Amino acid sequence: MLSRVANNLIWLERYMERGNGILSLLKVNFYANQDSPELFSWTPIINNFTTSDNEFYTEDAIECIDFMIFNLDNSNSLLNIVTRARENARSVQEHISREMWLCINNYYLHLTRKDLPKKLKEEDPVQFLEELKSHHLIYNGTLDITQERGASYYFLNVGKYLERVIQISDFTVLKLADIGKTTDKLEQTIYWKNLLLSVGGYQLYLKTHKSTFNEDHVIKMVFQDKLFPRSVYYCVNKLNKHINQLIESNELEKNNLEFLLGKLESTIKYTTIESINAQGLHNFIDDIKADIRNISLNINSVYFSNT
Amino acid sequence: MTNDALSSTYELVPKTWDEMHTDPTNIRSQYDVINAYLKKTSPDILYKKEELSKQLFMKQGVTFTVYNDNEGIEKIFPFDIVPRIITAAEWDKIERGIKQRLKALNLFIKDIYNEQFIIKDGIISAELIYSCPNFLREMKGVKVPYDVYVHISGVDLIRNNDGEFYVLEDNLRTPSGVSYMLENREISKRLFPGILPKSNVRGVSNYPNMLYKKLKELSIKPNPNIVLLTPGIYNSAYYEHTTLARLMGIELVEGSDLVVKNHTVYMKTTNGLKQVDVIYRRVDDDFLDPLEFNAKSVLGVAGIMAAYRKGNVNIVNAPGTGIADDKAIYIYVPDMIKYYLKEEPILKNIETYQLGNPEEYDYVAKNIKDMVIKKTDGSGGYGMLMGHEASEAEIKDYLENVKKKPENFIAQPILRLSTAPCYIDGQLTPRCIDLRPFALSGRDGIDICPGGLTRVALKKGSLVVNSSQGGGSKDTWVLQ
Repeated sequence: MLSRVANNLIWLERYMERGNGILSLLKVNFYANQDSPELFSWTPIINNFTTSDNEFYTEDAIECIDFMIFNLDNSNSLLNIVTRARENARSVQEHISREMWLCINNYYLHLTRKDLPKKLKEEDPVQFLEELKSHHLIYNGTLDITQERGASYYFLNVGKYLERVIQISDFTVLKLADIGKTTDKLEQTIYWKNLLLSVGGYQLYLKTHKSTFNEDHVIKMVFQDKLFPRSVYYCVNKLNKHINQLIESNELEKNNLEFLLGKLESTIKYTTIESINAQGLHNFIDDIKADIRNISLNINSVYFSNT
Repeated sequence: MTNDALSSTYELVPKTWDEMHTDPTNIRSQYDVINAYLKKTSPDILYKKEELSKQLFMKQGVTFTVYNDNEGIEKIFPFDIVPRIITAAEWDKIERGIKQRLKALNLFIKDIYNEQFIIKDGIISAELIYSCPNFLREMKGVKVPYDVYVHISGVDLIRNNDGEFYVLEDNLRTPSGVSYMLENREISKRLFPGILPKSNVRGVSNYPNMLYKKLKELSIKPNPNIVLLTPGIYNSAYYEHTTLARLMGIELVEGSDLVVKNHTVYMKTTNGLKQVDVIYRRVDDDFLDPLEFNAKSVLGVAGIMAAYRKGNVNIVNAPGTGIADDKAIYIYVPDMIKYYLKEEPILKNIETYQLGNPEEYDYVAKNIKDMVIKKTDGSGGYGMLMGHEASEAEIKDYLENVKKKPENFIAQPILRLSTAPCYIDGQLTPRCIDLRPFALSGRDGIDICPGGLTRVALKKGSLVVNSSQGGGSKDTWVLQ
């Protein structure tokens, strides 16, 4: 496969995954913000997705959502993200299924409809966000049932799980900052619950631990659960699997990659909750992010190796 | 409900051939089926069909981007739902005419880059050839497989008011539009269910297979690596590049994906360098190789021409074919046909005056109201003067400009492009059209896809069909 194509496939999927995560976060924060605006302000979310020179500031929920969905100056607005995903898809059309291209193009056309911003302002914002989210659900289903399992599929998945690990880490850091500001146990519990909602793990948590909020349980679920598709461990495991498929089919050089991924996977798997707490969750996340960055750089070197 | 009002206001343009009507009340028999269908369809449904066609283009991403103030606006190439229909007899002549012409043009290119008999025999002057910007010295003496230079072409034809097809230009470099031929047909199938088989329309969907076969036979390898080289996502024909690559199952590459080592072209893949055997390039000669042509080009590949001359890679169309579709050379195509083939031209040329010749210049200046003046190296409908529309001041300015380098300009009488009915604002209305059939030449001869791109000047009274200037397109039906 062309190196450029591999790169575009990874980014196509990273953007789609990012868009999906942003929509989840916006919806969860909208609900939480309506309950207790003092605990769930919009500013940290906006800051997480913008650069340090961002001047946009408001606590108006609809305006914040509008900024995260439509604002063209915000490089992480959904519109910009989906536009870039589509550009990547457009340039790899002969590698992805026809259905995937039609699906992404259709999503883009929906998002660029002239009457859409008005809809956000005048109608139910939750339904508005859910409608956008349904495009991601359709996309993921389409990818699953139409794309053959081969290099393209593996590269797409590398993008998906890289982005997801980064996102879970960022969302957690975001909540840790809030948690650090309070000593009120109840407030802390609310933040942990909010983290679970943001990564889509609340329901599973209830099924497993019932309605009792224990910090350690949340951390274990978000970082170490083997079956929860949005846990860091699950994502790293999948990343490892897809990268190994690429190495086996000679699409990727081993270099350090195998070692780095193997090490990261076992670190996450075998670090006890006591040891995480001892070093501080923050440091634990920082190490994961550093490893992920390193892995990402190693994959990048593939595109530049032959120039 | 019927729609008798549909063509009640159809006003034939005087002194102009209409593709459907022989006179206001009678239509040509090839349009019987579609005409009956349109008449029995209510205006509402026709309107819906038109909307559907727009949506289909958008949904499939059949768009091109127009850049304005740094903002890209995506547009569809306007599509008129009423097909243009060509009879089997008309097509037979077009097909024979284009084949004859391409055969002669290809012999001409071979001759010009090798022995140059046509110059020695005094048919064309050496001066004209060497002053032509599209003549590539780099191609002199280069052997190309099976002596085929022009593999892919899109000859533009127009039908004059005598009912005959004339060649407007030959387009032997990287003609575009073939994806619209394919897409328009797919849309017609959905707009007019059952009408295509009922009308015995010949299929066009085989084009990508034909093209792949022609590309493949250029290599002696059993499984050559064939790629399509695109200038990239910002090119207005990018949609076409992705479509052709997808339909042929070949890799779509950009210049930066390729690299030349030891006079061999490779593409950079995730498992190392992979040799490239055949390149269908949609990049112009000028940008193909920064080492030999435009040094600033980032669209091409450094060293690709050297690899090509060594025979290590095939480039389609061959570099340098632009010498044969130059507007100043166009005048000589009938002579070429006689010279190389000892045949009379089947398709006519449009009478053309060379402004470098003082007598012809005087004639054109005198009759300027009936003339269109073009630059010999221009394309896309830019830089033209339409004598009947221009003001005295515009004419004066233009001629001043011509006088600086008159040999760079030609003039042709303003043509009566034939009209075809278009569905505009709920009515059938005549609009000017042309025709671009797509031909493929290779080891075993020339194949022409039975159909092509019919372009429409959607503005009333306009003769300019270019998509950049308000043109649209129609599906083109060739009957069995």
